[in-house]
Amino acid sequence: MSSPATEVAPVKAPILVWDRKARRIVSDPFNDNNPITVQVLGICSALAVTIQMNRALVMAAAVIAVLCTSNVVISMLRRFIPPSIRIIVQLSVIASLVIVVDQVLQAFLYDISKQLSVFVGLIITNCIIMGRAEAFAMANPPWQSFLDGLGNGLGYGAILVAVAFFREILGSGTLLGFQLVPTALYDLGYANMGLMVLAPGAFILLGLMIWAQRTWTGYTEE
Amino acid sequence: MAFNTGYVFGFATAICVVCGLAVSSVSMGLKERQDDNRRRDVQSSILSALGLPEDGKPLEGEAIDKLWEERVRRVVVSPEGEEVTDAADLTGDGKVDEDDVDAARAQVKGTDKPAPLALVYVRQDGAKAASYAIPLYGVGLWGPLSGYLALDPRAQKVTGATFFAGKETPGLGAEIQEPKFEDQFLGKRIVTDSGEPKPIQVVKGQAANLCEKFLDYCVDGVSGATITSRGVDVMIADAITAYDPYLKRIRGGAR
Repeated sequence: MSSPATEVAPVKAPILVWDRKARRIVSDPFNDNNPITVQVLGICSALAVTIQMNRALVMAAAVIAVLCTSNVVISMLRRFIPPSIRIIVQLSVIASLVIVVDQVLQAFLYDISKQLSVFVGLIITNCIIMGRAEAFAMANPPWQSFLDGLGNGLGYGAILVAVAFFREILGSGTLLGFQLVPTALYDLGYANMGLMVLAPGAFILLGLMIWAQRTWTGYTEE
Repeated sequence: MAFNTGYVFGFATAICVVCGLAVSSVSMGLKERQDDNRRRDVQSSILSALGLPEDGKPLEGEAIDKLWEERVRRVVVSPEGEEVTDAADLTGDGKVDEDDVDAARAQVKGTDKPAPLALVYVRQDGAKAASYAIPLYGVGLWGPLSGYLALDPRAQKVTGATFFAGKETPGLGAEIQEPKFEDQFLGKRIVTDSGEPKPIQVVKGQAANLCEKFLDYCVDGVSGATITSRGVDVMIADAITAYDPYLKRIRGGAR
């Protein structure tokens, strides 16, 4: 029944696959399992850096970079990390990466790094990153962990940018620094919405987004 | 998989060493660039307080260094308002510069005494002094505040103001470094008609309603940032008092 000629050598699973499962890992955190709107993690920075789009974009990029790299590193080390000290090991890796990102921003994007001030450093305490390291990277191979980091980072970034979009337009009348609300409208008595540049404005927007997103996906808390 | 104690310690040490090496090498590698950024950031905010470059377009990189060299003269003054020479060198490097002023400020830290040296940046339009920028130092809610106040050649009115919010809350206290807040200072006065120093007040609420009679000495505070606004108020008052002897000389036409 099995002749040597037809015997297939055991297929070595390719490491970098972009199949349905991989796509699922990336797309899941966008919607069904969004770290902000569903898991309600990483709220602090989502409130703080969403006054302007450019801050939100740089913050999102910083989080994506840290999340992908930390997931890959933790995943590669996962068989060597003693369970008794795994959290502190994850934290050391994440903290180092965050400092590297902060240093790079200070060297190449000084103005924005100044505006983001402490919030780049606070990526260390962003629950999304520790959460993904502990929940995903400790149990999955590097490529999948990278995709998971990318997906969660993008899911976080998408909400950040969406909140910043409304806050900047409504609060400052600009988008990425360009005047969007015409001067004529101001002459007619239109005023920027002061609430949007304050933290409560972000709370309200975020609440509305969580509501809209959960209504759409039918998600309920158990 | 079982890990013995020796392995755990070994692993922890290895992680620390690798992370430490990575972080410190990145930090050292980028240090020069970051220092340049910081220096140029300070210089460009002094330049912008002084109304340079004239077209208002923000400069970057070496263009800042060039403009700085060409147009800004740094003067060190004593509490009596006299320009000091290299004889007042505190750090012993043969010249009087920012380091000496920092050293002088450190000497009187925690006391009410005025620092023995203070800086003034003068914008030169050819041989003529076109504007004077004085540094401001203050305290906000979370940490130090600073800034520069630029004055017209007769030292009567404000021609530019920039503030650094340091660690103030983004969206609240940090709004003092936005043009919306800074531009309020343009055209405000720092002396009375009789030549006495009178600081600009940062009021809680709207200056237009609260200081009808002295609107020339009054700006709006930032809502939600009372302590930061008060910090700016005190910082300006301190500087205007401290620099008054020097400013009086300018007003007196001594130069």
